[in-house]
Amino acid sequence: MPTSDAASARLVANRVLVTLLCAGLLAAWLLPFATMSPNRLASGQTVGLSEALSAWQVIALLALSAVLAVTALRRPLPRELAHSVVLLASLGLLLITLYSLGDYAQRTLVEKSPSARVSQGSAFWVMVFCCALAAIDAFQRASSGWLLRLGYMLIAGGSVAMLFASGHFDDLSIMREYANIRDNFADQFITHLVLVGSALGPALLIGVPLGLLAHRRVRLQGTLFSVLNFFQTIPSIALFALLVAPLSALGNAFPLLGEWGVKGIGAAPAIIALVMYALLPVVRNTYAGLKGVPPATVEAARGMGMTARQVLWRVEIPLALPVMLSGLRIVTVQAIGLTVVAALIGAGGLGAFIFQGLGQYAIDLVLLGAIPTIVLAVIADFTLQMLVVLSKPAGTRR
Amino acid sequence: MIELQGLTKRYGETRVVDDISLTVEQGEFCVLIGPSGCGKSTTLKMINRLIAHSEGKILLGGEDITTLPPERLRRRIGYAIQSIGLFPHWRVADNIATVPRLLKWPASRIAERVDELLALFQLDDEGLHDKYPHQLSGGQAQRVGVARALAADPDVLLMDEPFGAVDPLTRDTLQAELARVHRQTGKTIVFVTHDMDEALRLASRVALLNAGQLVQYDRPAELLVAPANDFVRDFIGRADLGLKLLSRRRVEAYCRPAQRTRNNAIASAPITWQVDADDRPMALLGGRLGESDIARTVVNTEWTATPEMSMKEALSRMVWFRVTALPVLDGEGRLLGEVTMSGVMGHRS
Repeated sequence: MPTSDAASARLVANRVLVTLLCAGLLAAWLLPFATMSPNRLASGQTVGLSEALSAWQVIALLALSAVLAVTALRRPLPRELAHSVVLLASLGLLLITLYSLGDYAQRTLVEKSPSARVSQGSAFWVMVFCCALAAIDAFQRASSGWLLRLGYMLIAGGSVAMLFASGHFDDLSIMREYANIRDNFADQFITHLVLVGSALGPALLIGVPLGLLAHRRVRLQGTLFSVLNFFQTIPSIALFALLVAPLSALGNAFPLLGEWGVKGIGAAPAIIALVMYALLPVVRNTYAGLKGVPPATVEAARGMGMTARQVLWRVEIPLALPVMLSGLRIVTVQAIGLTVVAALIGAGGLGAFIFQGLGQYAIDLVLLGAIPTIVLAVIADFTLQMLVVLSKPAGTRR
Repeated sequence: MIELQGLTKRYGETRVVDDISLTVEQGEFCVLIGPSGCGKSTTLKMINRLIAHSEGKILLGGEDITTLPPERLRRRIGYAIQSIGLFPHWRVADNIATVPRLLKWPASRIAERVDELLALFQLDDEGLHDKYPHQLSGGQAQRVGVARALAADPDVLLMDEPFGAVDPLTRDTLQAELARVHRQTGKTIVFVTHDMDEALRLASRVALLNAGQLVQYDRPAELLVAPANDFVRDFIGRADLGLKLLSRRRVEAYCRPAQRTRNNAIASAPITWQVDADDRPMALLGGRLGESDIARTVVNTEWTATPEMSMKEALSRMVWFRVTALPVLDGEGRLLGEVTMSGVMGHRS
């Protein structure tokens, strides 16, 4: 075995890509690409890839797969070029997979009853997933600058958005579901963003000064971090539930507070819980960022005659910023996910569709809640990653 | 002028600096030296109030330093530490401009001053103006650190082991450069180090500290010829005390007239230099160790001396090339005189 391992290592430069490619192709061959059902709730029959796709689509899929297979080899492409080719080919594969599904829905539903539905099969999901992972992997291997990454993400996001905007997917089951709830979807989407935003604001306003305090007063650290750690260990659903009773009591005791929205259910307990979860990463990263500033740099700043405030704003914060922003990144992604659960206590947001869909066993509705949440989290993660890079002292950023 | 009067720093019951009194005159290069934990760094940092003193007084130009807010005081005093003290997120020019900006100088004056300092430290022709500290070599970073300390043209410069983190070769260059800058600017400098050679090379006065107390405060030469006690002798390095002394002295103090001849006939003196028409030495007659007195040794450019050379180096060359005398040459290579092995013992100064 070791010899054959060594042999494949010489031949194949990127094993991750090979694995993803095999998984994608196997799924395309063995698993259903789409399902077809007579109405919204009935379970349908499966449709394979060869049946769903037109000839040119299959050829394009195979051609791009072949390109990917070549890039995974040690030769003939140089590494840097191979990464760029992978990025483009996987985006191409993703777009063709998406396009083919919409195209299939358009072609078949013309001849069926209006209530018939076409939805995504497991092969579709595996293929989309593999494309995304191949692109992420290529990003990690390539040494491209942040501007190129931003450009790629904009092109990828833009082309997918254009497919949606053109109405190409309107015949898919999930988009029909979307058409039914369009107005409500916009509301809940905004509610979701508002919840996340109103949790992050206070979390930063409280967390950054606390991190500063932890850095300045060594004795406070132990207590502060154990309290914040304790919050983190409470399961989210339990924390939401625990907040219901005291907040409703508060709202009842002081009607004025009740008018301001302090109630047992709704946004108030959700925001409070989200803030409590967000505090630990914010405080910890603020503290770690400040601690990472070399003591000699701070001493030099003081020795030059900077006031304590000037040392903080001109030296400590700029140097701690990358680590502080990494904290914000963790917190933002975490809050976007936790807000889904907040729908259970009536706070609204995209979670509302997920729980509603689970109740009705309407899987499209669940996806309408889940997919935008994932996309939001990915966008937030990517944006903040960019900010982390940009906040690094000039000249040291990659 | 800096006066320390009964300066003491206590942490609880421990006195890390214990009743130190000394005066650093205008334009003096004062080196604080001593073993680790002797309180030299603490003493330095009390001068710009990075550390508050417990007892005693510090006068800067006759003025008690506690009468000023600490930030205002520090902007009047240059401060340089090891290169990691540069602000990594600022370019070289911004680093140098730190104090002028705090003092709110107009931008044009700051730019002018930065260029002036880059020129003074010979950093101007290397395109360093817009570089970041991590792009500099150790020596460059250190020079930027000193330039930054001088930016607002302070009368007094405090330096805390500034050359501690650079390699010996670079340190040598930096020391020579600092000595030159000191001569050119006439600043009062207080410099902390634990390296005796560095202290002897740079200082006009050395303050030797031990366990928080001032043991001896003297000119380097006095420290060497009249050490106050055994601690001083040990710290300087008892074994090469004599060599350290020679390292402070220059060849010109030992130079004496040379016996010349234009042909290779043996003269009456034991050491005679054969010179050409331009008075350049060609050979040494006699004076070769282990050879007979009549040996003729061709002068090699490597075993010559200049008036500015330290006697330590001259002696080292004599030993290495196995000769008992070196010709002392002027800038044109003409024979000024000679230094001899026996002459090392007594000098005219």
